[in-house]
Amino acid sequence: VQPPQKPLQAEEWNKLREDFQLPEIFEEVMLNNMIRCNSPIDVAKSLLTHLAKRNGDIAYNVLVKYLTLCVRQGQVSEILDVYDIMKVRFKILESGAYNLLIKGLSNSDQWRMALTLLEEVKKIMIPSRTCYESCIKAASRHQEMKLAFELYKEMLAKDVVPTLDVLQSFFNFSRGMKGAELQKELFGILLYLRENQIYPHETFMWSIKLWFESIPGGNWRGHLTNIKDSGKCPVCKHQLEDSNLTEEEYSNLSERIIKDVIHGTDTFRKTSPKEFEAFQTFMENRHPFDIVIDGLNVSHIKSGKMQCENLLDAVNSLAKDNARLLVLGRKHMLMNSSNWKREIMKEMQNKADFFFAENISEDDAFLLYATLRSGKHCKFVTRDFLRDHKACLSDSLTRHLFRKWQRGHQIAFSSAEGKIFPLFFSQQPAFRYDCVVQTSGDTWHIPYKDVFEEKYSYQVPRKWLCIQQK
Amino acid sequence: MQCSNMLLRKIVRSSVLPFTAQHGMKKDLFPLSRTLSLSLCLKQDKSCEPSGKLDLDEWKKVMKSGLQEEVSETVSEPKELSSLAAARETLDMWRLAGRAVPENISEEQLKAFMECPSKSAKKKYLKYLHVKELHKKNDKRKMDEKRERRLEAQNQASNTDEMKKSSFVCLWSSTMDKAYNWRVAQSMIFGQPLVFDMSYEKEMSVREVTNTVRQIVISESCNRRSVDPFHIHFCNFKDDSLYHREFIKHYREAWGKLLITVTDQCYTEVFPKDKLIYLTADSPKVMKTFDHNKIYIVGSMVDKSIKTGVSLSRAKRLGLETAALPLEKYLLWSTGAKNLTLDQMMRILLTLKDTADWKKALEFVPRRKYSGFVNKPVKELKTTLHLINTLKLGKGREEAKKQFTKNHPKK
Repeated sequence: VQPPQKPLQAEEWNKLREDFQLPEIFEEVMLNNMIRCNSPIDVAKSLLTHLAKRNGDIAYNVLVKYLTLCVRQGQVSEILDVYDIMKVRFKILESGAYNLLIKGLSNSDQWRMALTLLEEVKKIMIPSRTCYESCIKAASRHQEMKLAFELYKEMLAKDVVPTLDVLQSFFNFSRGMKGAELQKELFGILLYLRENQIYPHETFMWSIKLWFESIPGGNWRGHLTNIKDSGKCPVCKHQLEDSNLTEEEYSNLSERIIKDVIHGTDTFRKTSPKEFEAFQTFMENRHPFDIVIDGLNVSHIKSGKMQCENLLDAVNSLAKDNARLLVLGRKHMLMNSSNWKREIMKEMQNKADFFFAENISEDDAFLLYATLRSGKHCKFVTRDFLRDHKACLSDSLTRHLFRKWQRGHQIAFSSAEGKIFPLFFSQQPAFRYDCVVQTSGDTWHIPYKDVFEEKYSYQVPRKWLCIQQK
Repeated sequence: MQCSNMLLRKIVRSSVLPFTAQHGMKKDLFPLSRTLSLSLCLKQDKSCEPSGKLDLDEWKKVMKSGLQEEVSETVSEPKELSSLAAARETLDMWRLAGRAVPENISEEQLKAFMECPSKSAKKKYLKYLHVKELHKKNDKRKMDEKRERRLEAQNQASNTDEMKKSSFVCLWSSTMDKAYNWRVAQSMIFGQPLVFDMSYEKEMSVREVTNTVRQIVISESCNRRSVDPFHIHFCNFKDDSLYHREFIKHYREAWGKLLITVTDQCYTEVFPKDKLIYLTADSPKVMKTFDHNKIYIVGSMVDKSIKTGVSLSRAKRLGLETAALPLEKYLLWSTGAKNLTLDQMMRILLTLKDTADWKKALEFVPRRKYSGFVNKPVKELKTTLHLINTLKLGKGREEAKKQFTKNHPKK
């Protein structure tokens, strides 16, 4: 139904209602449509008046819908009136109404009222992230940066994740403001991006750049740039952080992979203790490897070719430069079959070490273990994204470490025009530098993504913002 | 209108009014005054209409005025709400806002609600309660309707008062029960054992355990009604476990009289290891025939979150043989996980035991999960299915055509 253009009389509403198929939900449907069409508020008022006269009361959900319309149109006095009515009518409100009230009031000169409402919400539940965001934006819009940061910290403490939008508003509203304290807080936000491996989008990047350049007496200059594969910034000649994990991170990751991925809740799920022990002794009796290959995964690169031939191609192309290779497979590969010819397997075993797991064991777990055990220089070959293994890791910090390590160490084969060639994981060359927000005190390097760029979680942006202090 | 006004004026002017007033005849005065006020009203309305003004804020007055008494009430008790009461209050508001919230909620459920770790968990739990409540209500309504119909039918029957005579003895359910129990008792001595492995409590949530127990209860009743029942064993069954409490909820006092063997021992302690076969969908081995000399083990587990390899790892640890149903071999699988519910397993196993007919047994696989029975060699079917899919997706149409001509050469 199309909402009317101007306020209607009671009889007219009655008529519309009777013509509607389901009179019981007429008001709801009508208000929903009004919200959709952004009807004039007087029309909604006339409907409410009709309702109030008819039933002597207006249901809560109808009030909330009306409130939505008011908030949409910024009708502050109406919002306040609705709040007054709700307050006397109901002991507490639910989150939807609070969200609307706070959002509506924070955009007006009554924004302090939104803050008191936020306090009220805190008494009964954890405020939603939109509540916090409205309040933070209102506070920073009125230059109350201290208050805004207090709310921001409170939000983080409650595990409510802020959107990029809110982070951006901090930079927008503190442009040109002085104060060492404020500067520290904003650097804190940049470090938050670093810790959570968040990449700002282009407009956000501009906000950051403009803020830096606006710091009075700061002498910051920003440039957009691309970082070379060597990891040297072409603008300021600064060398970016190394992508290798630190010793501590590395040992941490290996430990967690053995604990969470290989053993998990039950060692028997992916392997068996006996088999894992056998694999451990196998690894200990050999020198560290340079490349570990997931035999079964690689054997499927090209369809229409025998699996063992695919594997042989891969081994041959990697066997140059005296690289020490380890191929992980399953026992069924040793059975002479149409896909696995014994002679070819023999030939490969001269060029690389092989370990065959049980047919029902997971070879990926061994792949990870063997690579990590061989040391930082060791790379591994598989097309698998290893998402399921990443998911086994119990905390997000270790998962980030895993991704970082994977970016630098995974090789995937790809086949084109009858040839196969190694490609680094995620279609990008393995970076020698780490792709995160980073600082050296007088420089900041911030990777950012295009607004419309489609980004997979395993891909990292190529564009950078370089900011240096002169 | 004018006309009536004129009339009124006339009446007022005429001597009738003083006359009636003089005589104190109020009765006669009433109709007069009513017409007066009515006409006034009409007049006002008329004067309003041309300007078309509507008091748009009138609803606020109504909302505020209707509340005076209530307001004073709420103001008089400003005490802090206890957390339980506050939760109840929140639920009330959610219901008013039109969310899926049950109308009645017990203290226990309310506590469970508050213990939910996240907002979405809370929402899910409430929706579950809400749907449950709806089902209950519907069932009750249907029961009432049925009772009414039965009463009506009874009334009619008593009117006609016709005694039915039948040469058959009426078999009451208790008699049937006796016969079933006799069979199950027989199976407990001579029957083939079937083991339910009750060691998965730690892997499951409370809801999953409840579902498991419900499925086992159905399985047990299927078994009892079958021609040649299994001898059911519950192994690794701990007293006072969640399983136990749920079973008692279902069976009440009948729990002690069930004709099954319940033990806290492992199946490996009860039976020789080489006779045991663990049935699990993750098994690499596929069952070919039903072996009457083996003892099959079914894991009593419902996993709503996907936990692959849990029961396979159990069997691996104990070094037992495993098997999976040959679903792929007999059915054209379309969607859904290959793990079946416990009662479906029971029905399949019972049918296999009695008939050794895979097709008949696998009819108990839910129909939505497969698109049909295999009657051609699987390989051939797979290629056609593949062809259909590629054609549907439009991907590599040329390639598919080539393959098609290769597979179906013109003769």
